[in-house]
Amino acid sequence: MTSHTTTPTEASRFRPFAFLTSNITGLVLLIALLATFYSMYATGFTSKFNLYTMGRVMAIDIVIGFAMMVVLVTGGLNLAVGAIGVAAAMFGGWAMESLGLHWGFGALLALAFGGVLGAINGLATVKTGVHSFVITLATMSVYFGAMIVLTEAEAFRALPKDFTVIGKTRYYGFVSALLPIALATGAILLVLFRYTALGRKIKAAGANPRAAELSGIAVGNTVVFCHCLSGVLAALAGLMLTARNGAALPSMAGHVGQDWLLPSFLAPVLGGTLLTGGTLSVVGTALGAILVSVITTGLLLMKFADFWLNLFLGLILLAAVLLDRVRSVYAARRQQMQVD
Amino acid sequence: MTVLAVSSVSKLFPGVRALDQASFDLQAGSIHALLGENGAGKSTLIKILTGVYTPEAGTLMVDGQTRKFATPRDALLAGISAVHQERNLISYFSAAENIMLESLPNARGMINFKQMHEQAAHWLESLNVGIDPRTPVSKLSVAQMQLVEIAKALAQQAHILLLDEPTASLTPHETTHLFELLRQLRDNGTALVFVSHKLEEVFELCDRVTVLRDGKNACQSQPLAELDRQQLVKLMIGREEQIPERPDTGRHSNDNPDSPALDVRNVDTLSGHRDISFSLKKGEILGLYGLVGSGRSEFAKALIGLDTITRGEIRLDSIPATIKDVRTALAQYRMGYVSEDRKSEGLILEHSITSNIAITIWDDLKNSLRLLGNRRETAAAQPHAQRLQVRTPSLQQQVGNLSGGNQQKVSVAKWLAARASVLIIDEPTVGIDINTKNYLHELIWQLASEGTAILLISSDMPEMTLLADRILIMNDFKLTGEVANTRDYESVSQAIMSTIHQQDTTLEQH
Repeated sequence: MTSHTTTPTEASRFRPFAFLTSNITGLVLLIALLATFYSMYATGFTSKFNLYTMGRVMAIDIVIGFAMMVVLVTGGLNLAVGAIGVAAAMFGGWAMESLGLHWGFGALLALAFGGVLGAINGLATVKTGVHSFVITLATMSVYFGAMIVLTEAEAFRALPKDFTVIGKTRYYGFVSALLPIALATGAILLVLFRYTALGRKIKAAGANPRAAELSGIAVGNTVVFCHCLSGVLAALAGLMLTARNGAALPSMAGHVGQDWLLPSFLAPVLGGTLLTGGTLSVVGTALGAILVSVITTGLLLMKFADFWLNLFLGLILLAAVLLDRVRSVYAARRQQMQVD
Repeated sequence: MTVLAVSSVSKLFPGVRALDQASFDLQAGSIHALLGENGAGKSTLIKILTGVYTPEAGTLMVDGQTRKFATPRDALLAGISAVHQERNLISYFSAAENIMLESLPNARGMINFKQMHEQAAHWLESLNVGIDPRTPVSKLSVAQMQLVEIAKALAQQAHILLLDEPTASLTPHETTHLFELLRQLRDNGTALVFVSHKLEEVFELCDRVTVLRDGKNACQSQPLAELDRQQLVKLMIGREEQIPERPDTGRHSNDNPDSPALDVRNVDTLSGHRDISFSLKKGEILGLYGLVGSGRSEFAKALIGLDTITRGEIRLDSIPATIKDVRTALAQYRMGYVSEDRKSEGLILEHSITSNIAITIWDDLKNSLRLLGNRRETAAAQPHAQRLQVRTPSLQQQVGNLSGGNQQKVSVAKWLAARASVLIIDEPTVGIDINTKNYLHELIWQLASEGTAILLISSDMPEMTLLADRILIMNDFKLTGEVANTRDYESVSQAIMSTIHQQDTTLEQH
């Protein structure tokens, strides 16, 4: 055991594709490049109003990305992000408008309601042992369907002014008030996953549930917690969207919430969260969401139709997933040759 | 007749020369040992021979012809098959389907099942094993799966068979059977390459030996008769082996004989253990020996709460304990379990060394704000990594990047961090090089002499006789005897085998 004990060092020093494993820099560069491109070719991209509206989209996309990210880290996924977001926002709208509750209290209720819907996903996943893909595919329809039945597809349009004003507030003329909310959420998640025992347990359980279990971690609890957190974050995104619209609309995330599906996967996957679980990047997810909203805003300004956007975003997701694959193959190969 | 000649093969990985001009030649009708410490390049060489890797330099000659393997299939077509440490069978297929997978008899795309079963049965019979070809692989024992893999290799007309640690998960009885079979294959003209860490087996079975050290030949195709154990070890590790002397302690002085650390009374489990009773004292190393499938690891897992205990009582420090999950076992009773399967049960390969060590104590590491940063984690993990001499440039290194021996050290270290007072250690040295093995043995003694009660599960008889104070024998989910360890390998191993054998005959009578 002389020279070979040094194998890991030598091999980890030699990493020609290191930029693939840390893509924060790559994302920042890409965003800067695109922004420069659009500011030259997309008329009005740098206008204060455009920056403000782009910030609103961005903030919501970031939170939607977080909602998916916290489930991806467990090695699962949550297709019901959109359905929960809309259902919780409608619940909040009902609490504010029909019950006449203070908007803050209504918002808290909505967040709690999202948490409950998410926790149901988590409990069903843990108790049945069925993959969360199937569970959340089912609950996506159940939640959305129940919401339509209960609200009779009617919107809540008479929401408290104090609440809807959040969606219209701008600082310095171009910073949406929704952005600080998204960033604060990111900060909380960053602390959770970097500086708490719970965050570490979640990552361990996601990477290797069996080993985590045998090390004394209650793996089932971490999965339920993550789904619950995902529900709260989805509800937050729903509330932000409601504030932006000035009304809680059953259709605001498309049928069964499908409009959120693509952005929810794009942000974490672009940001380097592995679909296999155990690894995540809060900053990366935020940057991923920023990239997506910059791309869409620019394309819309350049008068591309909606279906073009979907095409582009789909292609980007494919590219990101391929990159994810390359990353894990590359990581596996490095590991392999060091075991030898 | 030389069937395989490997000359001056080199393989580079970024930053490391895994193989450096390695050579050996293989004769028909002989068994050739390929030895070396972990990281010496054995696996790389095997992967080159089976077409997984392409060498940067050097030549392979099979039956006198130079060959280049681009894919594993090329190697198969040249008649080279490998039986790997990990089983490579499709578990929900039948034995026959697995054996015939590469050449399923079919007509117009439809599989001829009758013919498939006949052909598979032929290969199984030629190995003299009574496995029904229709049995799903998932129903077979580990040893049987291995035999199916050998049958598969034969069905592929392999005349060169590479066996990578074939006995790692076999019992002595199964090993004896396997060796008979390998000798029979040898006598029929097959050339075999045998990779093992167990030198006793190498001397028992092999004719010639090639030793690799740091990717180079330490010796090349040398007749084994010219070497003794000491010389062989010296070739492998580059210096004389130091056989550890057990520090004699009088540590199990029975200072408190009435209060065992772990007392198991008449315990039944859901997975089928019946009436298990034993007690384990502080500072004692209690061996638990049994054939694969006898229920040893299953019982260990029942103790730490992964299986339901249906009857009987478990006392820890004389206090009756109800352990419903690993967390309770650890947090309330300071009982830990070092898994036999470090890669899938012991470690989180993608995470850092510090995380893998501190995982058992994260809750204790929170600061006054209930936060836990990397610095605190590292500070807590470092002494344990240091004590175990985990060799790594950085404690932030991913565990998956470490060698097998260092990985095993990490999977033990986390229980040191947890200050386990009862530690169940399951097969601590499977597939681990001699140095680390000796080191781990010393560590187990040390832990015991510091007062840890250790339940040691091992299929490695020399290891058992070296470490244990007493040896319990488990057979078919029951304890069937206890052997006091006199440290005399011959007599103890005979006592153990006769206890197991006696049980076999009584079972047959039923």
